Amino acid sequence: MGLSGKISCFLILLIFTVCLLSPYIVSSRPDSIDLDSLKQPPSMKHLFGTDNKGRDILSRVLYGGRISISIAVLAALISMTIGLVIGLMSGYFGGKLDTFFMALVDLVLAFPSLLLAIGVSVLFPPGVYTVMIALSAVGWASFARLIRGQVFSLREASFIEAAKAAGCGNARILLVHILPQCIPLAFVMTGLKLGGYIITEAGLSFLGLGAQPPTATWGSMISANRVFISSAPWMVLAPGILIAITALSFNVLGDDLREKYAVNKSSRVL
Amino acid sequence: MKGYVLKKIILLFPLLFGITLITFTLTKALPGDPVYSMVGERASPQTLEKIRKEIGADKGVVQQYFGYVSLLLTGEMGRSYYTNRKVLAEITAKLPNTLKLAAGAMCLAVPLGILLGLISALKKNTAADRMITFFSVAGVSVPVFWSGLVLMLLFSLKLRLLPPSGTGDLRYLLLPALTLSLPALASIVRVTRVSVLEVMDMQFVRTARAKGIKESRVNGVHILKNAMVPVVTVIGLEFGSYLNGAVLTETIFGWDGIGRFTMEGIMKRDYPVIMGCIIVGTLIFVLINLLVDVMYYYLDPRVRVDGTER
Repeated sequence: MGLSGKISCFLILLIFTVCLLSPYIVSSRPDSIDLDSLKQPPSMKHLFGTDNKGRDILSRVLYGGRISISIAVLAALISMTIGLVIGLMSGYFGGKLDTFFMALVDLVLAFPSLLLAIGVSVLFPPGVYTVMIALSAVGWASFARLIRGQVFSLREASFIEAAKAAGCGNARILLVHILPQCIPLAFVMTGLKLGGYIITEAGLSFLGLGAQPPTATWGSMISANRVFISSAPWMVLAPGILIAITALSFNVLGDDLREKYAVNKSSRVL
Repeated sequence: MKGYVLKKIILLFPLLFGITLITFTLTKALPGDPVYSMVGERASPQTLEKIRKEIGADKGVVQQYFGYVSLLLTGEMGRSYYTNRKVLAEITAKLPNTLKLAAGAMCLAVPLGILLGLISALKKNTAADRMITFFSVAGVSVPVFWSGLVLMLLFSLKLRLLPPSGTGDLRYLLLPALTLSLPALASIVRVTRVSVLEVMDMQFVRTARAKGIKESRVNGVHILKNAMVPVVTVIGLEFGSYLNGAVLTETIFGWDGIGRFTMEGIMKRDYPVIMGCIIVGTLIFVLINLLVDVMYYYLDPRVRVDGTER
């Protein structure tokens, strides 16, 4: 792993730990209103300043980060799991099943992704789970296509033939022989895509489809605070900088992983 | 060539059918009855019944879907539940604004992206390359709604150079177009760099140099032209994804295009508007992809007619 990859790994771990441990790090609650200190610029008492209700921005950003990051990571893992299941079946069994699933993949990829995510998330009442469902509903398709390609090339490998000759059933071949070969690729792709999930999660929260007030997420903080941008810019800057650093770290790490795995031709699609 | 394009066009039809089906299912599953939000909770059952009949909500779902498709086939998209204006007419009125915005963003992103990508590749592993690479990764890592707000803060509220929001001439266009261009710029730079690096090592480039062709010509003609194929693809894809960015960017800058129209439709549960916008948006996306495929063919004769590459 290159230097840039190490730095981004460190930053990701740092942001994750700080956000997870936020109750032990910041003294003020994210939604405790303090009418004596409205819209205070950053100071020693409030490192990132306070918002229009006197709530501490640092604490809101950290508590919000817990939600934003968890949604992005869980949605990426759900997409990966769906993609693995469909990709495995599609690539291994081929035929009509494959045609059907790949048509579905093409269909999902034919939509501009945010439009589809918006379409899915208006189905459910706004909230954390809604965003997670919307992100997964859009994200599984590219995983499925990648895994299918991998399985397709593995299917003809001689060790699969050997397994068949030894009398293994389809389920055993899929789960014991093919799945482990796909897992590393699936995780690399998840890493590559996480930056995008963070950004899209923020976008949906920004549009008001995610967690509802007073719960803070990075996207919803920017959305709620944007009217104060000229009088109290720190209210908007802090969550945005955190989104940018997190997504940037994931993307740099992704580039690093991509270079490392690019030797393998199938990962060129990444 | 003709067969290739024709095949692609024929494949569009099942795709369009799928798109209308998904969009329809999505909007039908929306919570909340639009009839109530049109006339209020306290309307008499007779009024409700009358309006249901008017918008066709009293029929079965399957009937409604085929009703909608046959409406689409006659070139209509129904009327907005709120303004009672024709959705298609509204979209065609707002589409030029969105296209203007996308074109503006394109004019910024394409030349600059190719130039920076080329510099980055030619000066590989220098400080300039590292900086360009870093900024191009940063470009895709910053959400457009945030970079838009920061640009607005900087140029309209602090420096007072440009208006913060509204639809209008070039002064209004500049900030949203710049915002929208950032992620596209970033991906064009990245793809150009990788592609140029790949072409640079090829034998025909060495031959060109050996023949004594001027370095600037080798870079500008031999390398760049051959490196353009993936760049064209990514430009097409980015143009399509402008429709994503447009929803956010137009909402922030109050730009009167279909992005903001979509958002308003969603907020008011205005089904015909939401469906119309998603269908038009997706149609544009699909058509651009088709255009990219065709351009691929012209740029790279190695693309075989059956659609597989090299």
